[in-house]
Amino acid sequence: MTLAAAFFYLFAAITVASAFKVISAKNPVHAVLYLILAFFNAAGLFVLLGAEFLAMILVVVYVGAVAVLFLFVVMMLDVDFAQLRAGFMKNATLGFTVGMIVLAEIVFFVATQFLKPGALPAGLVRAAPIPQGITNTEALGRVLYTKYVYFFQGAGLILLVAMIGAIVLTLRHKPNVRRQNISEQNARTKSTAMDVIKVPSGGYNIPDKAAAKVAAE
Amino acid sequence: MPRYLVELAPLHSELILIIGAMVLLLWGAFRPETERQADIISWAAIGVLALAGIVLARQPLGNNTLFDGSFRFDAFARYVKMIVIISSAGALLLAPNDARRGKYLKFEYAVLLLLATAGMLMMISANDLISLYLSLELQSLALYVLAAFKRDDVRSSEAGLKYFVLGALSSGMLLYGASLVYGFTGATNFNDIAAVALTKGAGQNIGLIFGLVFLMVGLAFKISAVPFHMWTPDVYEGAPTPVTALFAAAPKAAAFALLTRVMITAFGGIKPQWQQIIIFLSIASMVLGAVAAIGQTNVKRLLAYSSIGNMGFVLVGLAAASPEGIEGVLIYLATYLVMTLGAFAVVLCMRRRSGPVEEIADLAGLATTNPGMAATMAIMMFSLAGIPPLAGFWGKYYVFLAAVKADLWPLAIIGVVASVVGAFYYIRIVIVMYVNDAKSGAENRFMRVPLRESTVMALACLITLLGFLPFPLRNGSLGDWIIATASAAARSLFG
Amino acid sequence: MQNAALLIVFLPLAGALIAGFFGRVLGERPSEVVTTAFLLLAAILSWWVFTQVGFGHAVFKVPVMRWITSGDLDVNWTLRVDTLTAVMLVVVTTVSSLVHLYSIGYMAEDDSRQRFFAYLSLFTFAMLMLVTADNLLQMFFGWEGVGLASYLLIGFWYKKPSANAAAIKAFVVNRVGDFGFALGIFGLFAVCGSINLDQIFGAVPALAGKPFEFLGYQVDTLTCLALLLFMGAMGKSAQFLLHTWLPDAMEGPTPVSALIHAATMVTAGVFMVARLSPVFELAPEALKFVTFIGALTAFFAATVGLVQNDIKRVIAYSTCSQLGYMFVACGVGAYTAGIFHLFTHAFFKALLFLGAGSVIHAMHHEQDMRNMGGLQKLIPKTWAMMLIGTLALTGVGIPGWIGFAGFHSKDAIIESAYAAHTPNNYAFWALVIAAFMTSFYSWRLMFMTFHQPARWGADHAVHDEHAEPATASDHAHDDHGHDHTPRESPLVMLVPLYGLAAGAVLAGVVFTKYFIGTGHGHGEADPYKAFWGPSITEGAHNHILHAMHEIPHWVGFAPFVAMLAGLGLAYVYYIRSPWLPAATARTFRPLYLFFLNRWYIDELYDFLFVRPAFAIGRALWKGGDGTVIDGTIDGTASTVGWFTGRAVRFQTGYVYNYAFVMLIGVAAILTYMIAGGVGR
Repeated sequence: MTLAAAFFYLFAAITVASAFKVISAKNPVHAVLYLILAFFNAAGLFVLLGAEFLAMILVVVYVGAVAVLFLFVVMMLDVDFAQLRAGFMKNATLGFTVGMIVLAEIVFFVATQFLKPGALPAGLVRAAPIPQGITNTEALGRVLYTKYVYFFQGAGLILLVAMIGAIVLTLRHKPNVRRQNISEQNARTKSTAMDVIKVPSGGYNIPDKAAAKVAAE
Repeated sequence: MPRYLVELAPLHSELILIIGAMVLLLWGAFRPETERQADIISWAAIGVLALAGIVLARQPLGNNTLFDGSFRFDAFARYVKMIVIISSAGALLLAPNDARRGKYLKFEYAVLLLLATAGMLMMISANDLISLYLSLELQSLALYVLAAFKRDDVRSSEAGLKYFVLGALSSGMLLYGASLVYGFTGATNFNDIAAVALTKGAGQNIGLIFGLVFLMVGLAFKISAVPFHMWTPDVYEGAPTPVTALFAAAPKAAAFALLTRVMITAFGGIKPQWQQIIIFLSIASMVLGAVAAIGQTNVKRLLAYSSIGNMGFVLVGLAAASPEGIEGVLIYLATYLVMTLGAFAVVLCMRRRSGPVEEIADLAGLATTNPGMAATMAIMMFSLAGIPPLAGFWGKYYVFLAAVKADLWPLAIIGVVASVVGAFYYIRIVIVMYVNDAKSGAENRFMRVPLRESTVMALACLITLLGFLPFPLRNGSLGDWIIATASAAARSLFG
Repeated sequence: MQNAALLIVFLPLAGALIAGFFGRVLGERPSEVVTTAFLLLAAILSWWVFTQVGFGHAVFKVPVMRWITSGDLDVNWTLRVDTLTAVMLVVVTTVSSLVHLYSIGYMAEDDSRQRFFAYLSLFTFAMLMLVTADNLLQMFFGWEGVGLASYLLIGFWYKKPSANAAAIKAFVVNRVGDFGFALGIFGLFAVCGSINLDQIFGAVPALAGKPFEFLGYQVDTLTCLALLLFMGAMGKSAQFLLHTWLPDAMEGPTPVSALIHAATMVTAGVFMVARLSPVFELAPEALKFVTFIGALTAFFAATVGLVQNDIKRVIAYSTCSQLGYMFVACGVGAYTAGIFHLFTHAFFKALLFLGAGSVIHAMHHEQDMRNMGGLQKLIPKTWAMMLIGTLALTGVGIPGWIGFAGFHSKDAIIESAYAAHTPNNYAFWALVIAAFMTSFYSWRLMFMTFHQPARWGADHAVHDEHAEPATASDHAHDDHGHDHTPRESPLVMLVPLYGLAAGAVLAGVVFTKYFIGTGHGHGEADPYKAFWGPSITEGAHNHILHAMHEIPHWVGFAPFVAMLAGLGLAYVYYIRSPWLPAATARTFRPLYLFFLNRWYIDELYDFLFVRPAFAIGRALWKGGDGTVIDGTIDGTASTVGWFTGRAVRFQTGYVYNYAFVMLIGVAAILTYMIAGGVGR
């Protein structure tokens, strides 16, 4: 238990710290790397909670796919963060104040609700049940397509919309760009690929002027 | 019909929209990409919407819940879904002409609109924090794309991006709130949350209150209530006008229904707490909507502020938190939908040979150059200003009545004052059209009003003018029917 | 008879419309003839209706149209004709028709006579609306209508700045009173649920003595309402504190002064109090106030009248004073005596004004009495008429028997004031002293104008600033050449004088027993009860009209003695020892100046209201106009634009600004919920 607590604080601290670095790093590549670090630590937190499936998914999907994609994009786009931040800094003081107020309020509510013994009415807080005897994956699999099929399909629809959106907003058919069309290549036959052109016989027919030039050289 | 389809009966309209969207998507993807094709697909999408509407209207009521109570179908859901489907269809009807002229007519428009509408229907029926979030995202994501749909236009792209970024922020807050609520109630289902919220001392549970606040902020963003409205004018102005027409009506109604259901069903037990927030949002929206609109010169921006103000008026009904208040909300939403579509149909017809125009000053002398269009706009503006006996008056009347009955006198008084101030800028448009002189010259004339736009205008005028007059349809006027239906719908929410 | 009532009311309106809208087409003479003829017809009909109603005891109502129906407010436009109305009809139409006739001569040199006659007829219509009112709204309509006509006629010579100023002053001062009147009407509607006179009269007895609470004070409902209504009467009838407009109103043409500011409009207040006698009777405290204000006005105006030099202003203050008498009568419950004095006063005061007009006409628009004198021989007919008017005003008669009109009515008021037993009999003494002063200044006027040696010889060309306008004067000079000898007025001006003189002589003798009774019969037997019928209500304990006949003999002689004393003193001052006035003025210089400056009330108002108002106006103009109004007018901008600017300023277009606003909103709501929202 104490070990778990120690790791919780470790992961949590690193998560918060790296999240802070994500927004404060000067180099965008560093920011994405910190983001990856935050994801890893969040995965660690999931493991501590006994949700190893989620931890793995987080690493595989977010770190392996999303964050790496981010990294590519950031590297290729060459975003000037300093310029973006110029306007942002104008409101820094006020922003800091507002942020501090919200933070203070959250701390206040944590203080009153958690740290005071008996502050929370009994029965109000319920821990999520950890499935016994089966693996995380199996537990999720049992409910994902039955009890939560509605949510699952809804999430699928969101992804569909995202896909359509990405295509509709970015795909451009430029008429003068030649693309490889594999099915077209595979569908080639002799008749479509070859044209027999009759070339009239009778030697080269060099115009006089050009011929004179050749002769002079 | 297979048994599983029968069991899913309350979900049929959503299923029709989703399956229709997919079929049209495939059809469009495998057919040559021409404008004619896109036009046909938008007609087909309207057909899909109509089918969904018919199925919805025939769906028997009852206390229908699906998927462990995360989807709920009741009279309230049916009423708002009907509004959403009609306004989506109206917005879709208005799109192709403008899209063809703006060179952004693509079949994906109709598909995205169908998916967005499906998301809205799911929002209206959402009875669980997860379905709330998923449906909201489904709708929002489709709308972000639609806002940026005219991708070669910088303003449209900018609008889409702004909407997306701020929408993501609001979604983050909403999720934060949802996780707090889950943490402090141990449930995501609204009815389970309600059970906790009804316990004694729930109002002192500051964690629950924090969750509630963040949840409300996320939803307030969607209905563009002040101070979470900032995106509205920019997005309305930048997005293609048919998209703006869609934004102004259907998503607002859906998000409002969602907000109402969350407040009444899930958090009915801590009403005094959220009531204060709603009152604050309401007053801020009404006042800012009225005051800021006065300075606008762009018609679409003006209508954006108008929609902010109108959402403030609708919030008055929710603030009352009584069946009468919700009834007022529903009546208001129905009338507002008609007026918005009518007004945007006119804005869509503000097109000269050189291209579309959006300034109020461009409307000068419209009464002489195009009396029909001017009359439509005038009726819509008078109705939005809340002048009896036009439809717009009744929405205001019922929400203020409910506020007074709930002893929210100050709110009702501020509302009346705000609507008087608001009347100023609505009527200013009428004055511009009827008093100012038109610029001469053929190049300053608007192009002919297309059939689809004029149909929407005519219908909107008819409903706005005659809808609430004592003009017997079969038994009572359209207005009577709307009021009776809204009343039943509102009561179904209070169970 | 109903048709007669309708004709009486609407003939003047028709005349006004014809002269007003078609006057230019018709020409001047036809306009004059039409309006005058209509008025004469109306006057004849009025006398007929008067005999029918007063002696035939027919009280009737003529519905004209449905007017306003809104919630509990149900107002029909109905002419109510009872004895009180009939008396007023007679007064209004008779004086008005004679003034119309007179004006044909008096205004002959003016360029816009159509306008003048249209206004006169319009005024008459409004006044008739007032007196035939069956509900308070109708009365208020007439009330404002006469106010408007008065404004238009005072400012008739609109090119003259002083006339414009006087017109505005009259309107503004009247507005103060009208404000009270309107509040009174609202209050009566609030407590009675109706503004129809019959319903109000039916409802008020139940309200007597019932207080309502206002700012923690218990206020008697009816007293409060009666005082508010009386505030209106004070404005219209130029009572003390709200009297300042009346002397200035003399800037208008003299026939206007005679009609509006002597005979009819200014008596509207008295009429209103009499008409609402059922309300006032139940508010004894309010009646005490009415008495006090009436007595004070009678005394105050008389003192000021002593030292005025403008012939019209003397008569104006006299009017003010006489109105005070009428209010004293109403205040002590002798409404009929008040109305009787109104009736007689209309004749002799109109006579005096028109006579003064005739003098002014003869003197080529000279109004200062110091520049007159010796006119008796030159304009003997005018002199005779003025003499009759003066005799009537001062109340010459043989006590207990017979006299001129004023004798009967004024003495009745003085007697009733005694019978009412006010504290220390102040009302009685104030009125007697006022009667003495009335006599003095009236005879002073006669002596200075007609009997003293002529003072208008060589230096007559120097015109006083009170003289009527330059245009008319220039005409006068052109027409008359430079022959300065005053001439008698034309017949068309003299005939009205004869008519009014007849009234001034006979009105008292003929009508005394009908208006105020003989005091011999008791109960219903007394002829005045039968005459008035239900139009005047006297409270159950109101026996003032009997009491006034049972007073000590010396009381009856007191006004007679005062009158004689005034006459004698005037004779000594202005005929026997003409140096005395100047000497007296020197000796009592402060008092003289106090009177001459009208108790400094105008100056007080100037200090209290006018200058602060100007100061505020100037501040708003210089300060507010520049920054606020200019902005607002320039496109509703500055104010709304400021807010809009604020709202738009946040609309920078930068996403991070928008996000920031959202976060501030969240923080604000969270803070609010923690600070105050959660605990409830």
